[in-house]
Amino acid sequence: MLGRYLLIFVLGIIGILMAAPLVLTLFTSLKPTTELVNPAWYPPLDITFEHYIRVWTEGGFSRYFLNTLLISVVDAVIMIIVASLSAYALVFMKFPGKALVQLVFLIGLMIPVTAIILPLFQVVRSVGLVNTHLGVIFADLALAVSIFVFMFQSYFVGIPKALHEAARIDGATEFQIYRRVVMPIATPAVLTTALLEFLWSWNDLLLRLLLLTEEPMRTLSVGLLNFQGVMTRDVTGLSSGTIIMAVPVIILFLSFQRHFVRGMTQGAVK
Amino acid sequence: MFDPDNPWMKRLNPVLFLFPAMAIYLVFAIYPTISVVEYSFTDWDGIQPERNFVGFENYQRLWGDRIFWQAFRNTMVWSGVIIVLNVGLGLVLAAMLARVWKARLLIQTLIVLPVVISPMAVATIWRWMYQPTGVINQMLEQVGLGGLATPWLGDPNVVLYALAVAHSWSTIGLSVIIFLAGLQAVDEDLYEAAKIDGANPLQSFRYVTLPALRPVTAVVFILTLTQSFKVFDIVWATTQGGPIRFSEILSTYMYKRGALENDYGYGAAIGVSLLVIVSLATAIYMKIQTREDS
Repeated sequence: MLGRYLLIFVLGIIGILMAAPLVLTLFTSLKPTTELVNPAWYPPLDITFEHYIRVWTEGGFSRYFLNTLLISVVDAVIMIIVASLSAYALVFMKFPGKALVQLVFLIGLMIPVTAIILPLFQVVRSVGLVNTHLGVIFADLALAVSIFVFMFQSYFVGIPKALHEAARIDGATEFQIYRRVVMPIATPAVLTTALLEFLWSWNDLLLRLLLLTEEPMRTLSVGLLNFQGVMTRDVTGLSSGTIIMAVPVIILFLSFQRHFVRGMTQGAVK
Repeated sequence: MFDPDNPWMKRLNPVLFLFPAMAIYLVFAIYPTISVVEYSFTDWDGIQPERNFVGFENYQRLWGDRIFWQAFRNTMVWSGVIIVLNVGLGLVLAAMLARVWKARLLIQTLIVLPVVISPMAVATIWRWMYQPTGVINQMLEQVGLGGLATPWLGDPNVVLYALAVAHSWSTIGLSVIIFLAGLQAVDEDLYEAAKIDGANPLQSFRYVTLPALRPVTAVVFILTLTQSFKVFDIVWATTQGGPIRFSEILSTYMYKRGALENDYGYGAAIGVSLLVIVSLATAIYMKIQTREDS
């Protein structure tokens, strides 16, 4: 019995340590500048939102936030459509070269983004999409699509073939079956894809650093990096910026924890 | 024309369904992958139109490049530290979590939550905590260990480890949930049998849990390895490889040479070395994973 309490005690301490970096950052972001002389673990006595307002308006974070949101939402929506369409073809259709298509998608699981960014930039430049959100979106989609094709495939395989056959006999086209029969059943896979792709897109720095070269197009990750470079001593501003970037994904995570946990273990390759 | 039994439609359908994903994927992932190999055999600077085929020259330079090897060594050390933390500590945490009921979800949430935080935010948070007058040094002084205080990211002997801890903070949750899933699959009867044989909790961990978890451990190991090799964001946003290259890893070195110093062909050669290492590790990971599933 003693052992059990000791275990909970130790785990409790670990939990506090894991939470501490975020909690301390939140504290700092809410402190008036005069309270910065206190140790970092002192909670803010006189809570102020002035740093958030400053970063949001003068710091340009409102624009970064909207840019990031736009890219992430579009990423997630398009990913659901293109990945599920491909997975549908691979599971329900017969066609020559299927094994090859499957293999080509498999290769995508092994390509590290970091290794190919140099030529990726050239490709995006040659199609005229440098410094556009569309360029980032294409790159995001290309580099993660394999994972989601496999995720949808593993979901579609579990759908009874008889269901598909019955719809075919009723005269439905493949697209109608995809739209009205298969996709409604695959809601969990859709949700997982939406959450993970949104998360990865929201959090990425490297592609955005490379592809979004001008200020108005930048996302939170690049904005925060530049802000950090210029405002090294602006501790409260940096903390507010960090919290602004973290809060949306924390809320998503807490609301869909079970889907996230399942998705992250499945999509762990990325 | 849209008659589903029309043989033309039958042939066209797979093409229509595969096209959107394939087009994007081939242009923005496969083509750059082939290109990086091609560029690595040229002396291109990334700007001028002309480029010359130089054979293995870039790779020969790589072989003799002291900084490349330092980045390689740093990447190895970096991965080693993260593996010890994420696999070792991750397993211990999961085993502990599996034994409590009260407060389990709360503690699990606290451990997994940092996984969704962006590496850029992680970098900002830890850079602030690691400052010479930052919270970590303040804490150490508070508990009378002021002698251990150091400018964590400015100290050449410490910087790589300090960053690895920050990275581990934000990734260990993933190991823990994979281990937890593995632990749930371990037969309860085995623990009962061990108990009857008089094993203490530590012994049953050593002789029941560890052997049963071997395949899951392999998965987490390779996963952690590939993930840690790919890291760029957190190092770039804190030290950019400094001080004096003590935290230079392959990805930051490649970015500097290829994107910033216009030594494009050479950067591509570094990229290819990264590509080879990561894809090998991923192939092993998938091999274990598929054996697991079947």
